[in-house]
Amino acid sequence: MFGRKRSAKDFAEEIKSHIEIEADALREEGLSADEAQRRARVKVGNARLEEERYYQRNHWMWLENLGRDLRLGIRSLLQSPGFALTAIVTLALGVGANTAVFSVMNAILLASLPVEHAEQLVYLRTSNAPQGTGTIDSSQTFSYSAYDALRRQNNVMDDVIAFVPLSPGKVAVRIGDIPEVAEGDMVSGTFFSGLGVRLARGKGFTAQDETDHAQVAVISYNYWTRRFARNPNVLGTTMYVNGVAFTIVGISADGFEGLEGGNSTDFWIPLQNKVELNAWGNPPENGKIYLNNPTWWCMRLIGRLKPGVSKEQAAAALQSTFKEGAYAGLGGPKQGEKPPTLSMERAKGFGENAQAQERPLHMLMGMVALVLLIALTNVAMLLLARNATRQREFSMKLALGAGRLNLLKQLLAESVLLVTAGGLLAWCFALVATRALAAWAHIEASLAPDDTVLIVTLSVLAVAAVLFGLAPLRMALSAGPTLALKTSAATSNTDAGKSKMGRAIVALQMALCVVLLVGAGLLIRTLRNLQDTPLGMKVEGLVVFNISPKITSLEQGRAFYRDVYSKMRELPGVESVTVMEERLGSWWSDNSDMTVDGKLPEVPDGGSRTVRSNVVGPGFLTTLGVPVLEGRDFNDSDTVNAPHVGIINEEFAKRFFHGANPIGHMIGTDHGEYQMRVVGVVKNHKYRSIDEEPIPMAWYEYAQIPMIGGMSVELRVKGKPLAILPSVRKAIRQLDPNLPLLDPTTQRAQFDTTISNQILFARLAGFFGLLAVVLVATGLYGTLSYRVNMRTAEIGVRMALGARRGQVVWMILRDSLVLAAVGIALGVPLAMMAGNALESSLYGVKAMDAMSYAIAVLGVIAVAVAASSLPAARAASVEPLQALRTE
Amino acid sequence: MATRENNPDRIALLQGTLDLLILKSLVFGPVHGQGVARAIQRQSEDVFLVDHGSLYVALQRLEEKKWIRAKWGVSENNRKARFYQLTAKGREQLAEKTSEWRRLTSAVERILDVTHGPETEEA
Repeated sequence: MFGRKRSAKDFAEEIKSHIEIEADALREEGLSADEAQRRARVKVGNARLEEERYYQRNHWMWLENLGRDLRLGIRSLLQSPGFALTAIVTLALGVGANTAVFSVMNAILLASLPVEHAEQLVYLRTSNAPQGTGTIDSSQTFSYSAYDALRRQNNVMDDVIAFVPLSPGKVAVRIGDIPEVAEGDMVSGTFFSGLGVRLARGKGFTAQDETDHAQVAVISYNYWTRRFARNPNVLGTTMYVNGVAFTIVGISADGFEGLEGGNSTDFWIPLQNKVELNAWGNPPENGKIYLNNPTWWCMRLIGRLKPGVSKEQAAAALQSTFKEGAYAGLGGPKQGEKPPTLSMERAKGFGENAQAQERPLHMLMGMVALVLLIALTNVAMLLLARNATRQREFSMKLALGAGRLNLLKQLLAESVLLVTAGGLLAWCFALVATRALAAWAHIEASLAPDDTVLIVTLSVLAVAAVLFGLAPLRMALSAGPTLALKTSAATSNTDAGKSKMGRAIVALQMALCVVLLVGAGLLIRTLRNLQDTPLGMKVEGLVVFNISPKITSLEQGRAFYRDVYSKMRELPGVESVTVMEERLGSWWSDNSDMTVDGKLPEVPDGGSRTVRSNVVGPGFLTTLGVPVLEGRDFNDSDTVNAPHVGIINEEFAKRFFHGANPIGHMIGTDHGEYQMRVVGVVKNHKYRSIDEEPIPMAWYEYAQIPMIGGMSVELRVKGKPLAILPSVRKAIRQLDPNLPLLDPTTQRAQFDTTISNQILFARLAGFFGLLAVVLVATGLYGTLSYRVNMRTAEIGVRMALGARRGQVVWMILRDSLVLAAVGIALGVPLAMMAGNALESSLYGVKAMDAMSYAIAVLGVIAVAVAASSLPAARAASVEPLQALRTE
Repeated sequence: MATRENNPDRIALLQGTLDLLILKSLVFGPVHGQGVARAIQRQSEDVFLVDHGSLYVALQRLEEKKWIRAKWGVSENNRKARFYQLTAKGREQLAEKTSEWRRLTSAVERILDVTHGPETEEA
């Protein structure tokens, strides 16, 4: 049933016709025309009332009332557009910031993986890898033999799922004629079935596919959309990955973007056994790839627990199997070696990458919660102030017979309107903000708000709506119907109690503002310190790009890079050239133990023996501008036939040579099979990231080691670094027409990516601090100008009695300075607590940084003065006679 | 209800009976509101007091239940009037309500006819 079927007019017409017919009848019965008319009318007299009652029984009544209340609300808000706009924008900023940050936190930390029964899934972890192994992550990656042992059990886990990327970035792919790049993972046959990821089309992999290393591929829904425009005929298409043909057999369900948190995987293939499809795109090590190399721990594992098995039980049950698998091909733990222990962790959100983000995200969430608190109290105060000036309106309504319920409904309707408008704006704001954040943080997975976020936001809004509706009610009712009869502005606005409340709220806001400003200050100073951190090299003028040539033999590879060197050196504008296996400032590094003079060096108990190494070419130190302390750089004469040479940094010398001169000593790989003579010692400089601490480092010469693959090429150029790229591209094409330049960028920009999180968090924190300042300022301004308005009469009297303008200004200023003082007294201890919590996110600045505190305190005082200057000026301009006359 | 005439010979309609009487008065074809009121009053030999206000509300209710339908027409003395007519559903309801009413009244009568009970006089 939809509302009234007949209009009231139609009903009224029927009654009218009834009266006429009835009157006709009565006249025929002999009554006079007038009497007949009267009787007819009398008989039908209460029909209207009945009709009204009837409609009121109709359950759509409330909607009509609501509509009326809303219309009234809109009209009343339009009467003070300034107030409405301020309230809506304040709400939108407060709620929007919260929604945005919460949806990021939700996507990264809380949301389950988009798979079936995500609660049964666990990431497998190990306490460490066996000695003499290389890892991607010392606790998160496993060798193939460890995986193979674990997957053979079936007591505590239904499935073990393995996945490993084909490259740290993107891998060369060709569909049709033109080469392109995409992100691909090699996965176990259990990947889709074990995770419970549905296929939008086609089929997933089977255990047989894994055993056969079947050349089939499943592409992601996203990739299908992006690359194939959802062409339904894509199944059966051949796609070449690093030159190997794969047939596309499936498309994964929409929303599943793989398990490489933050990056969306474009395609999956079963675990392969071809050299050109080695895990992580690595060249084979002594002819071995990940499948048969027990010293390379490179695969991530996920398990699906059997129902009713806890992760602790499962880990305990698998311990001995795991140990066996871990040492398969390694011949058991060495003397005194602590064997790895298996553990499990619930698989959630971005999983592998989540931990790094957890702390900053909690911190940001805390900041936006404070912003929200300030925003909500601001709007509440605005409402209080506005409704105080409307006391007469309420009083008049009460006097005219409006019930308290009617007033409440009207206030609620206004509040609902404000909150709805603010909420909608906030949601749009959050959508834009999350997209911007994802772009900024290079996160391809979706951070957009989901249902959970919607529910949380709606609850916040609902609480706000009720709060804003109820807060002014007491004041509205306290007016009482008699107030309307009074005329004095002074008498109608002298409730000391509520102004006390307002002052307490402003003081609280100032305290929160201090906390936010201190936090922002600390983080911004951290960012400054990071950006000013010396890298230990001349980073300006460096440009870097990767090439991944087809390498058929060590000889051919070495020849290729010799050609690269000569081609690059010929280019006008290039000062010097070098190559390296791991690009500096990309978070990647080779970590392993190294022998010194034939044996693993002694380290004081508990110390780490880990050395970060890199494989580099001639001119490495010169090109980067790293100061050489002792000895020399690699040069063109360090060929495969020359004596093997290596370079170390001062930290290596200090820790493993204990002050002795390292030049001429032998260092080597952890098993000692490759030995090289130290020919140079360099100053410590940054390798993986800007914020790393000095660590022992060593460099191998690329042409001397028995392994060669894709490399980063680094050029020192005159003028703008990136301007050299077109000519570089041309020169490389002369070597190999199919070779693209991968990820070309300046070395500075490359290093900056390692602090992109800090940059992001510091800027956000700064933004929230600023937002808090603006909100507090508007709140204070609103409260003060309202109070000055209310006190116009009082000020007039004071001035009439001889108060000077300066005194009046001081009276208003003092008021807000007192509030600021209270806020600071409250805020500083709070900020100290917050600062301690931040400690671990800081770099080069103490939690008790005097500068940050001073700036925060001065900021709050500035806000107090700025916000009160206008109202104070207005108070000072009060004309005593005018003020008194309005009484 | 200030306009209700206080006539002791007339009794107010029991809840729900008005619907039945309206349906009954429409059996012989479309009738307008005033006609329904008159018909009920006349056929009950002026025993029932038909409150015109309630009548229209009842008509409205029956129309919404789709027991009757209405359309505007012209009365015998050329007045515009809204004519009501039974629907198929209305006829069903009339039959049902009539038998329901019969059963009710006969049951009540049987009770009232028992003369051996305690002496009770109707006022």
